Amino acid sequence: MPTGTSLPDPRNTLYVEDAGVIANVQHAGDQFILRLKAPKTAAHAMPGQFMHVQVSADRPMRRPISIMLTDADKGTVDMLVKAVGEGTRELRERKAGESLSIIGPIGRPFDLSDTSRRYVCIGGGVGIPPMIFAADRLAGQADVIVFAGSEVEFPFALRPSRFLLPGVGGNAILGITSLEERGIPSRLASNAGLYGCYEGHVPDLARDYLLALNEKERQRCILLSCGPHPMLHAVARLSRELGIPAQLSLEEYMACGLGGCAGCVVKTIEDGKEYHRRVCVDGPVFSAGILPEFA
Amino acid sequence: MPTKPDLTVQFAGLTLQTPIVLLSGCVGFGKEYTRVEGFSNRDVGAVILKGTTIEPRMGNDPHRVYETPAGMLNAIGLQNPGARHVCGNILPGLPHDETQFWANVSGASLEDYAEVARIFDDSPVTAMEINISCPNVKAGGVHFGNDAAMSARVVAAMRKATDKPLITKLSPNNANIQEIAEACIEAGADGFSVINTLVGMAVDIDSRQPVLGNISGGLSGPAIKPVALWKVHQVRQVAAQYAIPILGQGGITSAKDAIEFAITGSDAIGLGTGLFYDPLLCTKVLDGLSDYLKQHNMASYAELVGSLKTG
Repeated sequence: MPTGTSLPDPRNTLYVEDAGVIANVQHAGDQFILRLKAPKTAAHAMPGQFMHVQVSADRPMRRPISIMLTDADKGTVDMLVKAVGEGTRELRERKAGESLSIIGPIGRPFDLSDTSRRYVCIGGGVGIPPMIFAADRLAGQADVIVFAGSEVEFPFALRPSRFLLPGVGGNAILGITSLEERGIPSRLASNAGLYGCYEGHVPDLARDYLLALNEKERQRCILLSCGPHPMLHAVARLSRELGIPAQLSLEEYMACGLGGCAGCVVKTIEDGKEYHRRVCVDGPVFSAGILPEFA
Repeated sequence: MPTKPDLTVQFAGLTLQTPIVLLSGCVGFGKEYTRVEGFSNRDVGAVILKGTTIEPRMGNDPHRVYETPAGMLNAIGLQNPGARHVCGNILPGLPHDETQFWANVSGASLEDYAEVARIFDDSPVTAMEINISCPNVKAGGVHFGNDAAMSARVVAAMRKATDKPLITKLSPNNANIQEIAEACIEAGADGFSVINTLVGMAVDIDSRQPVLGNISGGLSGPAIKPVALWKVHQVRQVAAQYAIPILGQGGITSAKDAIEFAITGSDAIGLGTGLFYDPLLCTKVLDGLSDYLKQHNMASYAELVGSLKTG
């Protein structure tokens, strides 16, 4: 198979781990954060990669779930999940002390290699975790800022941000505490009237910020995004409107998760030629410019 | 202490280092699973490469896979880069000293099948599996494999193009699998894969659309295991008379499943959807097979094959 995007392909070793559930914390809107003991995945994961999680031993298809944060010393991996179907509802019931078979870390990560850039991370719902992971890795290495959107209460500790951001004002005062503590500015958006959030869609919040930058600063930005399709469409539009590159993390039903079955493809156009690329290993992160769906 | 049971298998003139065969469409073009820590090609008798056609194919639009009770549907649509690309660019990079690689040949016409067979004939693949469940474009899209005479013509066309072993993959979606098997043997088939997937579909009740981009797809996984065992049993009645081996497959996710297929008459054991449950399934099946053979004082896997007692 020809290989895909311009993004780096780590072709890293994939580990099958019986990951112990350390904690499963329930949040609003059927969301929950699982902390798993998966030392090999924790040691090697890069932002944008995911784990292929076996919800229960009798389910033929694992569920691909983004990695939110790792602690290589403790060997732990955190993931945020929303119970939307049978599999994720089963996953919600897993308790500390149980174990889950996981394969990880899978996929092409975000390209964070250019530290002269400012990374503008735009995440929605269960697409927020890869933004948190990317920001965590970029902290102290490059400029990074996180915009997160949710229509239910955010499953994170929040506090008023101590960073002033151009173009961002009004109600948008809260940031994600863990990011604030690491010196990473963040702001939140919601249409659900949540306190301290920008009222509207998260790409519009990011747009206000980007438009308030001077041209030179704006051109230094790269957009990273993960979330629902309408949100990714808006981010892709923003990328075109402002002439800023965007890397989008996609989702699709997956069977093997290793590139063996070609069950999880997305259409791309590269050098004028059409391809079906596997979301699992040719992605999940793609340059927005090669995805006709978001053109 | 009993010695270690012999797990090598004679299959269509080939010696397989173990009875396990990784099935076409589940393991890409042979490289993907080698990234998994603990996976070894040496645990595998053969790897069947993704279905290959004469020209490159894009395959179907998403969704292509969907979970169903105890199984899954897939409708990939034969996405592949074409036989010449596979032979020129992929096969030279595979570790042929670690295991055997077999081609899986698909076509829209008899000429297509023959041409792909000619291309693979001059390559390191040691055998070719024939996907006869392809629509015949010259006969209004009827699947070749639905009809005994048409199935035989596909086998015969490929037989003329290569001396390599030809393994015909039989569909469970016909009532006359024995008749088709017999016709394929007469046309020169050296072995059978039993079974291909069952055709099915899934519906999204929110959008009221089919889930799969292709509307229909192939059902695999434990849900089809009883069907697969029965079809192996049926094909065995015919194939055994000609000493033609069977690669049994359909929902095998454990050593116990593999043993059931062996008893029913599977000379080799195909793993497909089972790998999606567990990419390290091969070693578990091999360990379980060895334990079973030892417990039952059998010296080899071959001794177990077709040992079904029907009274």
